[in-house]
Amino acid sequence: METTMIKNVRAAEKKPSYFFREVSAIWAIFCREVSVALKSPGTLAMSLAMPLVMMGMIGGNLTQNMAGGLGFDFGLFMLIGMMVNMLFMVTSQGISTLVDDHEANFSEEMLIAPVSRYSIVIGKIFGSMFCAIISMMGTLLVGAMMGIIPTFGQFLAVLALSPLVCLSAGALAMLFIGIIKNRKVANMAVMLITMPQMFLSGAIIPIGNSTGILWLISRIMPMTYSLDLVRVVVYAGTPEYDSIVMFNPAVSVAATVAITVVCLIVGTFFYARSEKNR
Amino acid sequence: MSKVIEVNSLIKKYNGAKSPSVDGVSFSVEKGEFFAFLGPNGAGKTTTISILTTTLSKTSGEVKIAGLDVEKDARKVREHIGIISQRPSLDTSLTAEENIRFHAALYGLYGYRPSFKLMPKVYREQVVQLAEIVGISDALFKPIKKLSGGMQRKLEIIRSLIHTPDVLFLDEPTQGLDAVSRRMLWDYINEVRNTYGTTIFLTTHYIDEAEHVDKVCVINHGQIAFCATPDEMKRQIAYDPTPRVCLPSLEDAYVEFLNRDKEVA
Repeated sequence: METTMIKNVRAAEKKPSYFFREVSAIWAIFCREVSVALKSPGTLAMSLAMPLVMMGMIGGNLTQNMAGGLGFDFGLFMLIGMMVNMLFMVTSQGISTLVDDHEANFSEEMLIAPVSRYSIVIGKIFGSMFCAIISMMGTLLVGAMMGIIPTFGQFLAVLALSPLVCLSAGALAMLFIGIIKNRKVANMAVMLITMPQMFLSGAIIPIGNSTGILWLISRIMPMTYSLDLVRVVVYAGTPEYDSIVMFNPAVSVAATVAITVVCLIVGTFFYARSEKNR
Repeated sequence: MSKVIEVNSLIKKYNGAKSPSVDGVSFSVEKGEFFAFLGPNGAGKTTTISILTTTLSKTSGEVKIAGLDVEKDARKVREHIGIISQRPSLDTSLTAEENIRFHAALYGLYGYRPSFKLMPKVYREQVVQLAEIVGISDALFKPIKKLSGGMQRKLEIIRSLIHTPDVLFLDEPTQGLDAVSRRMLWDYINEVRNTYGTTIFLTTHYIDEAEHVDKVCVINHGQIAFCATPDEMKRQIAYDPTPRVCLPSLEDAYVEFLNRDKEVA
């Protein structure tokens, strides 16, 4: 028995390349997150229930009371905003499970592996994207029940940009979550990251006419740029483009990428540091 | 034999602590050696292991694994090591096999596939046979939540050995295991050690487990109290001169050294 076992262990013993190991780690962490989500009916139910509250109640109320005189279809404007908001919100919540991993000592399993901390964080972000996409689909479903239905092309445009949006959201969340070691604080941090963005980045309320401090805040919100980028693609070639899209697409791309890269580097640095420097 | 672990004047003071948990510790471990790092609770054993395994930063001193600095070459160091830590580090939402699969993929041994059946044959055979050896075959596809503490420990041992590390850190690995399981695990660890020449770094409160190690270091109050072979250590202690059938046990020597250290302190 042991001889066969040792043979098998020998067969498995190999030196994987640097690149393969990193990709394998990102993929494994992604699969783990998906697997954990699928085994948790509560998580999936919440992913679907959140759109009911966000899109159904908040969105429905705004559509009924604010939609007039804007010069464009407020329903679609808000649906796209809510879809991006859901990606942001649920990805941030997914990143906060790093705190659970820390509390359960599972983070040790990942941190002791010979892989980059960036791979761990990126795998976690992409894994969180799974529930985020479910929430986005839920938003789409609630929107359809409210009679707001985007074209298939518009839906595909949002779907295609969702990895970038989630990466941006996850990187931003890492700035805060990476240094938090307590579940309650992590939940509060998620609220602090996501709620202001929902109202100040133009997800459900147009911010084209914001001035003063609100103008400033809206311009430093990372979601402002990723959301605008999504609207660039969704509204391309439509008459509403100029009244809805705020920035030149190049500005939105540059801002989204720059914010994502900076937040990812700083957030991962602090995450690794907080685990090690005690 | 070459040194695989080198620790020189290691100091670790936790943030906000008044005194260092590890205070100027120096020792070395030869390649393939079975090394026991013993000491009472709070002596600094786990702190030292955490620094050696790159999960905790040191305050000062020099620490090398396989000739690599644990701070500057942390990632390369991690390629050489495996650990079974005091606190289980399993994902309780996954099954036992999924935890092993995750570990194998994390170390780049196999690409992660969504089910056990889709994994390569060599992986499947390896996992099934390892599970048989440590006696968790029936639990392999059960969620971790449903496994006893002992079963989880066995699973951690399979997981830590699947990437055949050069140095295996065992931080109280048999805590909570029954005598039969303990023996089974030691047989398996010895088998792996004999086959691969794996260096074992052990901390334990079951002193009999360290009876047959190559070298023992005793740490107390963050400082090394004694470092030698078990036989040398036993010869150092004062014992009843009336004829005895055998030398005192390592446990006798260990307790004696701790008591002496306490008197000096």
